[in-house]
Amino acid sequence: MRKTPVGFLIPALLFVASLAAVVAGAAADKNEETDSRGVLMAIAKAPAKARDWKNPYEGNAEALLAGKKLYVQHCAECHGENARGMRNAVNLRAPDVQNATPGELVWFLRNGNLFHGMPSWSGLPEQRRWQVVTYLKSLR
Amino acid sequence: MPRSKGIALTWLRTFLVIILLASAGAVLPNSVQAQDTRYFVAYSHHMEEPGNLEIEFDTNYATQKGGNDFIAPWVEFEYGATAWWTTEFYLDSQATFNDSTLFTGFRWENRFRPLMREHWINPVLYVEYENTSGADKTLKEVVGFDNQFDFTDPNSELRKEHDHELETKLILSSDYKGWNISENFIGEKNLGHEPWEFGYAIGVSRPLRLAVTPERCNFCRENFVVGAEMYGGLGTAKSLTLSGTSHYFAPLIAWELPNGVSLTVSPGFGLNDEAHRFLLRWGLSYEISGFGRKVRKLFQ
Repeated sequence: MRKTPVGFLIPALLFVASLAAVVAGAAADKNEETDSRGVLMAIAKAPAKARDWKNPYEGNAEALLAGKKLYVQHCAECHGENARGMRNAVNLRAPDVQNATPGELVWFLRNGNLFHGMPSWSGLPEQRRWQVVTYLKSLR
Repeated sequence: MPRSKGIALTWLRTFLVIILLASAGAVLPNSVQAQDTRYFVAYSHHMEEPGNLEIEFDTNYATQKGGNDFIAPWVEFEYGATAWWTTEFYLDSQATFNDSTLFTGFRWENRFRPLMREHWINPVLYVEYENTSGADKTLKEVVGFDNQFDFTDPNSELRKEHDHELETKLILSSDYKGWNISENFIGEKNLGHEPWEFGYAIGVSRPLRLAVTPERCNFCRENFVVGAEMYGGLGTAKSLTLSGTSHYFAPLIAWELPNGVSLTVSPGFGLNDEAHRFLLRWGLSYEISGFGRKVRKLFQ
């Protein structure tokens, strides 16, 4: 039976795309800002109103522990258990990150920095993002 | 092989895979909890985290008027190529009661987020290539004039039809106060001179508790997500319509364990005569974090 052009094209396309996925992943790693200045620049894009958002969990010890649990589940793989950064992911204890307001951090968590490898965490409910920020702010 | 033995083997395989994945979740390190929405048909704008691989085993059981009931298991490998590109590979199969068990083909999909920021409505572009036989009964989407009577023929007949299809979706998705609301518009083209077929899927879901508790827990409300999906066909390019095709409503509940294992169950109900009266979907997934990095390390 004669093989159709589609029969040849699709496996070839699959192979090329698989390679592209690996290359894109590697390129994204390299594109990531390896110092906190890149993150600072991304955080600086937060709208002015976001800077003034108040953390509803500020000073709440239970929220801090909950934030730590979320950090371990979602962030530690890239930023490290101690949040000092690993590979290309930034040190979250760095002054540039710690000097950001809670509102800027929660805005950044929601939006991510997709082109530089930081995913958007909009899938986490807002309350959970604030809990993560509560924990991050405790690392100062 | 006797047909009843084939069905029994399929059930046994299904059970074994669920046990294996559940065990893997308990013992494997480096597992993380994904933030995906747990729909079976609809898609949201939440992508796989970059470098993570999610392995998912899903099954669709359906009653069949004028034919034999069936179960259609499929396996998904979902990989986050970048933070804005998720690629996914599927292997489909099915077992029809009093008939046979067979592999029905593969699908390969890609989702792209064109906008780098969150908005009220977040678009995602979806492109999928399907290489399946006419015996594919996974019902991952309903398009055109798909209806339950497409499946009444025996597998020996259905498998003779070979489909090369291109499927596109415009995914629109929003998050509001813990709710995810997703609308998908589906356009599917059989590459063999068939007209474009259209369909839709809508999904709504929310965790039972929005904030988490400090303790690690398996059965607390924060680990459960409830929601519902509605999906169906919209006819073809020549005849856009809601009639003559099938429509479904399916509530769902997902249990997301802290060790990266998720279990989702969704009973579905046909809303018109063209639809299967009852569907039962269930799925088990396991998230492996840093998979891409580990693979790249092997070649360094």
